[in-house]
Amino acid sequence: MIKKILIANRGEIAVRVIRACKELGIKSVAVHSSADKDAMHVQLADESVCIGPPKASDSYLSIPNLLSAYELTGSDSIHPGYGFLSENYEFAKILEDHKINFIGPSSNLIKKMGDKIEAKKIAKELGLPTIKGSDKGITDINEAKKMAEEIGYPVLIKAAGGGGGKGMKIVYEGKDLEKNVIDAKSEAKKFFNNDEVFIEKFFQNPRHIEVQILSDGKKVVHLGERDCTVQRRYQKLVEESPSPVLTNEERNKLLENSVNSISKLGYKGAGTLEFIYENGEFFFLEMNTRLQVEHPVSEAVTGVDLVKRQIEIASTGNLELDQSQISFNGHAIECRINAENYKKDFQPSAGKITSCHIPSGPGTRVDSAIYQGYVVQPFYDSMIAKLISHGRDRKSALARSLRALDEFVISGIDTTIDLHKEILKHKDFLSFNYDVNWLAKSDILNKN
Amino acid sequence: MKINKDKIKELVKILDELNLTELSYSDGKESIKVGKGTLSVPSVVSSNNLASAPTKSSGKFNGVKSPMVGTAYLAPEPGAKPFVTVGSKVKKGDTILIIEAMKTMNHIPSTQDGIVEEICVNDGESVEFDQELIKIK
Repeated sequence: MIKKILIANRGEIAVRVIRACKELGIKSVAVHSSADKDAMHVQLADESVCIGPPKASDSYLSIPNLLSAYELTGSDSIHPGYGFLSENYEFAKILEDHKINFIGPSSNLIKKMGDKIEAKKIAKELGLPTIKGSDKGITDINEAKKMAEEIGYPVLIKAAGGGGGKGMKIVYEGKDLEKNVIDAKSEAKKFFNNDEVFIEKFFQNPRHIEVQILSDGKKVVHLGERDCTVQRRYQKLVEESPSPVLTNEERNKLLENSVNSISKLGYKGAGTLEFIYENGEFFFLEMNTRLQVEHPVSEAVTGVDLVKRQIEIASTGNLELDQSQISFNGHAIECRINAENYKKDFQPSAGKITSCHIPSGPGTRVDSAIYQGYVVQPFYDSMIAKLISHGRDRKSALARSLRALDEFVISGIDTTIDLHKEILKHKDFLSFNYDVNWLAKSDILNKN
Repeated sequence: MKINKDKIKELVKILDELNLTELSYSDGKESIKVGKGTLSVPSVVSSNNLASAPTKSSGKFNGVKSPMVGTAYLAPEPGAKPFVTVGSKVKKGDTILIIEAMKTMNHIPSTQDGIVEEICVNDGESVEFDQELIKIK
């Protein structure tokens, strides 16, 4: 049984995990960098340990420092949150080797799902639809040319070990293939120290839809899907559940297919299967072997506390929740509030929050770690709050989001609150007429 | 006389944004003064928002100031050649250094043409908003 959890994270997600611990009667330990000594997670946890200087690589990412804090406080488990070490298989492996309870799946599955080529291979074996393309790295340019012609242009060259758009090239014509493969390889080598690249079909107008699952390794349940199509540079900005564009038939097939696939995997914990959706078809993109930023959207429509369920699975080895016990109610939307000036190309805006008013009222949830007088640090992610609105349908959830965004006051720094107002009122958003590239091209960001 | 409402609105906006209580503006032909009726703005709010700018800049500074708080890097990657050195000729828009803030690398452009007279920060040093980065002559 878990009695004391060290949370290897900061910000709103550390606060989220501490809240679950408190409700379960489990002691919580916050770790923090010297820049975060006044952070909310430090104040809310039962104990706290400073694990290093502001730079994340010397504090939140320092495995020796985290393990010292773990020993020092007599913790029995570690929750990684999202980001930082949450998908680092070496970290999970060290914990396994030292019999430390990691609240997440096995290091073996984290490793496999973290490698894009390997993950695609597994997805195919599990019966998930995958993106047409090479199932191994490109070694021969003639082979690559043949493959690209088979897939049909445009094609995408991607780094096997990569992410965030680095080492990624779109090729529209056969004559440009060789040059782009070489460029992609050198970028991949530079950023990921692995020059393996592969070819895939490139989607022109994709939507991003993902499935939330929970599993104890024996039983798998789903918590519905989330539509995270509104993005900027591969960063999600607005997420909602259910997806406004799927028919019930498409939805049921996707959810059933996802549950069946994960059942064959022996996966333990919360996880997300991400898909590209275009012209009525789904294609597996990747699996995130951790809790996600947008998990509250699924919590709002199902009433299931995902963090408590993660802890339950890690603590007892069992998930005491059947699919038949999960019902789906209404519609939920999440807006990620970032400390950025969206009118100046999303320039980061760190600094002191001089006044702060967090919205509340019916159907309104805010997960954040900010308060009046808090200084937003330049060393970490710019996301400072998530506003989750729940209503009986999309229309009422949207009305609630806009009402809450109007109540939301954060002064002293720039935020994306007003950007969200513009997105949620936009005719394209209201008529579901958008894809992952929509925001960058929309009149919201191209006013002059 | 015609009242320029747009100008007043703009001034009120600035007043709010900077948490000021009073603001006057004049362009030679007309002068406008706007202010808040009460002076009950909490002291923490006003003192902090007005921070560095007036105290740090001497008024004569010619060069580029930091548009954000973060960590300054003088070269595109560790060990590489710096973007500029003393004596470099720069044009408006040229990258003079990078500031890392919130996991993003922000290229900071020169705001004017000229010659680099002094680099006021060290590689890897933390910089504040409005801090002087390089002097240009």
